[in-house]
Amino acid sequence: MVRIILIGLFCLVSLLGFSQTIINGKVTDEKGEVIVGANVFLEGTYDGVTTDFDGNFTFTTTDEGVQTLSISYISYDTFKLIVDISKMTDLIIKLKEDVNSLDTVVIAAGTFKAGDNSKVTALKPLDVVTTASALGDPIGAFQTLPGTSTVSEDGRLFVRGGDADETQIFIDDMRVHTPYSPTPNNTPTRGRFSPFLFDGMTFSTGGYSAEYGQALSSVLLLNTVNEPTQEKTDIGIMTVGASLGNTQIWGDKSLSINASYINLAPYNGLFPDRNDWKKPYEGISGEAVYRKKYENGILKLYSAFSSSNFEVTQEDINYSEGVHFKLKNSNAYFNGSYRGVLDDNWSVFSGLSYTHAKNSIKVIDSDIIDTENSAHLKLKFKRHFSNRFKLNFGAEYFITDFNENYSDTNIAAIDYGFKNNISAFYTEADMFFSKKLAMKAGVRGEYSELLKDFSIAPRVSLAYKTANNSQVSLAYGDFYQNPTSTILKFNQDLKPQSTQHYILNYQYNKEGKIFRAETYYKKYNNLVKYDADFASFDTNYNNKGFGYAKGLDLFWRDNKSIKNIDYWVSYSYLDTKRDYKNYQNQAQPNFVNKHNLSVVGKYWIEDWKSQVGLSYTFASGRPYTNPNEVGFLNQKAKPYNSLSLNWAYLLSPQKILYLSVNNALGSKNINGYQYANTPNMNGDFDRRALRPAADSFFFIGFFWTISDNKTDNQLDNL
Amino acid sequence: MKKLITILVVLISISTTAQSKYEKGMQEAFQLWGQNKPTEAINLFERISSAEKDNWLPSYYAAQVNITRSFGERDKEKLTAQLNKAQESLDAATAISKNNPEIMVMQALLHTAWVAYDGATYGMTLSGKVIRLYSKALAIAPNNPRVMYSKARWDIGGAQFFGQDTASFCKDIEKSINLFATFEPKTPFHPNWGKDQAEGALIDCK
Repeated sequence: MVRIILIGLFCLVSLLGFSQTIINGKVTDEKGEVIVGANVFLEGTYDGVTTDFDGNFTFTTTDEGVQTLSISYISYDTFKLIVDISKMTDLIIKLKEDVNSLDTVVIAAGTFKAGDNSKVTALKPLDVVTTASALGDPIGAFQTLPGTSTVSEDGRLFVRGGDADETQIFIDDMRVHTPYSPTPNNTPTRGRFSPFLFDGMTFSTGGYSAEYGQALSSVLLLNTVNEPTQEKTDIGIMTVGASLGNTQIWGDKSLSINASYINLAPYNGLFPDRNDWKKPYEGISGEAVYRKKYENGILKLYSAFSSSNFEVTQEDINYSEGVHFKLKNSNAYFNGSYRGVLDDNWSVFSGLSYTHAKNSIKVIDSDIIDTENSAHLKLKFKRHFSNRFKLNFGAEYFITDFNENYSDTNIAAIDYGFKNNISAFYTEADMFFSKKLAMKAGVRGEYSELLKDFSIAPRVSLAYKTANNSQVSLAYGDFYQNPTSTILKFNQDLKPQSTQHYILNYQYNKEGKIFRAETYYKKYNNLVKYDADFASFDTNYNNKGFGYAKGLDLFWRDNKSIKNIDYWVSYSYLDTKRDYKNYQNQAQPNFVNKHNLSVVGKYWIEDWKSQVGLSYTFASGRPYTNPNEVGFLNQKAKPYNSLSLNWAYLLSPQKILYLSVNNALGSKNINGYQYANTPNMNGDFDRRALRPAADSFFFIGFFWTISDNKTDNQLDNL
Repeated sequence: MKKLITILVVLISISTTAQSKYEKGMQEAFQLWGQNKPTEAINLFERISSAEKDNWLPSYYAAQVNITRSFGERDKEKLTAQLNKAQESLDAATAISKNNPEIMVMQALLHTAWVAYDGATYGMTLSGKVIRLYSKALAIAPNNPRVMYSKARWDIGGAQFFGQDTASFCKDIEKSINLFATFEPKTPFHPNWGKDQAEGALIDCK
């Protein structure tokens, strides 16, 4: 008995009375500045302490042997020291700053990010839908950023002297082959995608990552929502149609569907425009996104279908009865991707996108049927070595099968087309040398089976933080892109076109204010030239085209200085000339404005539960060729002006009335002139002003959200 | 028999020393928090969580201290750092205790801290998440006073923003006060906060 008690006592004593070891030292940052309040402790034990005002720590432990001493402090990388406890004395611990923290330098050259989580946000997701001129189209919102040209009759993105074809759009890193809906000649197109499916957007006007190819000027990256927050039904009734959306969530799975029907017949009936519509624009579209979350990854399946048609007779200087144009378009798009974490250091992404697009066009008496089947496959990996060094690499394959069928009263139906398959690989490293200096360096290789051409494109960007709120970035890159289908369908004996970008960026960012200045030089090589008025079979083609673009982009945004007002101002100066297509000499293309200014403002009126917004665009006139004078692209149209207004009124938290007017002042804009093919009796070429179909456009919509959460609404869809 | 009792006594004394270490640590951490030493309190909660691998409470409180001190913080860098840290702690707590309504309430409060910082930017994107967390928590624990109170508090904020009647939500506050009156935490260290705030909110209602 006594023995047992003794054993028991011994146990207790041995538990309580271990020899104590002192652990002490000092915690500083990389520069030797002391860190006060760091947490220093032995992992898995209660033994530890917070550093004092001199960064010192001292505590005792009864543990022995090799243990892990953890030293952590907010905004610094946690440091772990694994040694024998007896060696944990008079330690000097230097913590490295966490490069994931908000005040770390960002690679900013060329890039605008829109998203909640990006460190410097030029645009917020909501801006897409609350910018007066954008009418809910992400493309429209990005057109208010510097670096874009105002080509109001087209609606696509023209970046830094580049043609619209030089910008590629990606959804979840997968290529969108046909992002725009077809429209008649003087009517701007819209993106096919409803903005509310996306929660992050990156718009790069140059110098982008080696992950993206086949784009000479720009990439627009759209990321779909990972996880919808709630089940809901959205109903929209508009002057131009109706829309219906629904989201369902089952645990880890969710499905969002969205359908819309647009018919411009009633609107055109009330407000006739310059087109003589036989069948006004009618379109039906549907989208569905299915998401499933796994323990270590997420699967997303996105599919979209749209069909549209219209028939119109448009004024033309060469045809007194006008040009008859009829179009039927159908477009199916699928995008599936899986993003997952393999272990602590590796993550993987694999994706597939597929497009089937068909256009049946009738122009005067020609029938043209275009069919495009395109696919994009991608596999990429990311290796995380540390917060300061990450390596990305991947491979991708693009398939394009384009076929055109042409027939008219004189020519029996003929078929022609091409298969443009491209394989590519890339690797890129992200490096942080400190919180102040970061670098991204990569290389991309591409092989085009059609053109039998292999290209290697290096890309580098550097960023350095010059002061607390400001930084400079530099970028250089080579970019390649195959000629477009309008050329390739007639001739494939060509080389990829190429550009080189040099970019210098300065950015200042403080408390709701962003100032950004960027200057660039861009060099074009191997542009496609041909020797006829229009690209055709019997035209001669070569790659001898070239050009340049240089300019300055300025951006200022402020949502803090004036209460309830958020505004931004963009200005771009662009000097560009090129000799391509059928140009007689190097000239400023007709889609380029030398000066572009956008002002966007939003004002929240608390008492009225309303947001009112305006956006104003000024663009200097674009060149056109006047055959009555000597030279090519020898004159400039008058400047472009447009003021758009919108008003969103919250009838109740879930009911919104939305009004907008584009070009509210009714400015008579002229996009250029069309000249007669043959001179009149006096020997002059007659002309016709190219004007938008309608000077102004207004829109009224009522949007109603039904959900358990009584405050959610469609304000972010507008 | 006696032998067995002795062994048991020894075993119990061992486990009680461990227990008291936990209790002592938790008490000290709460004291530090009460003395307005949030960094020290968080550090201690983190140390306890490193030793008590199966206990979600220390991580929960480490998050709560960071979230509480983030309300009213205007420095975005600091706010981001604190709330990211709080998110890490909540993730650690959730990994130990899944479908826990107390953690859901804390997660909702973390989102609310962002909305409070910049409603125009975060209101639209986070309010859906907050509502979803509260409905889920309410479904699991309809009689938890903190779920009832925090949800009502959020609903009142939304209704005030849209200039709507808050009466029904004030009733929920009253309901939560009744629930607080009978609420018994599982251990002295399980969440037991909110009664005073609820009473304060009820005064605002009137």
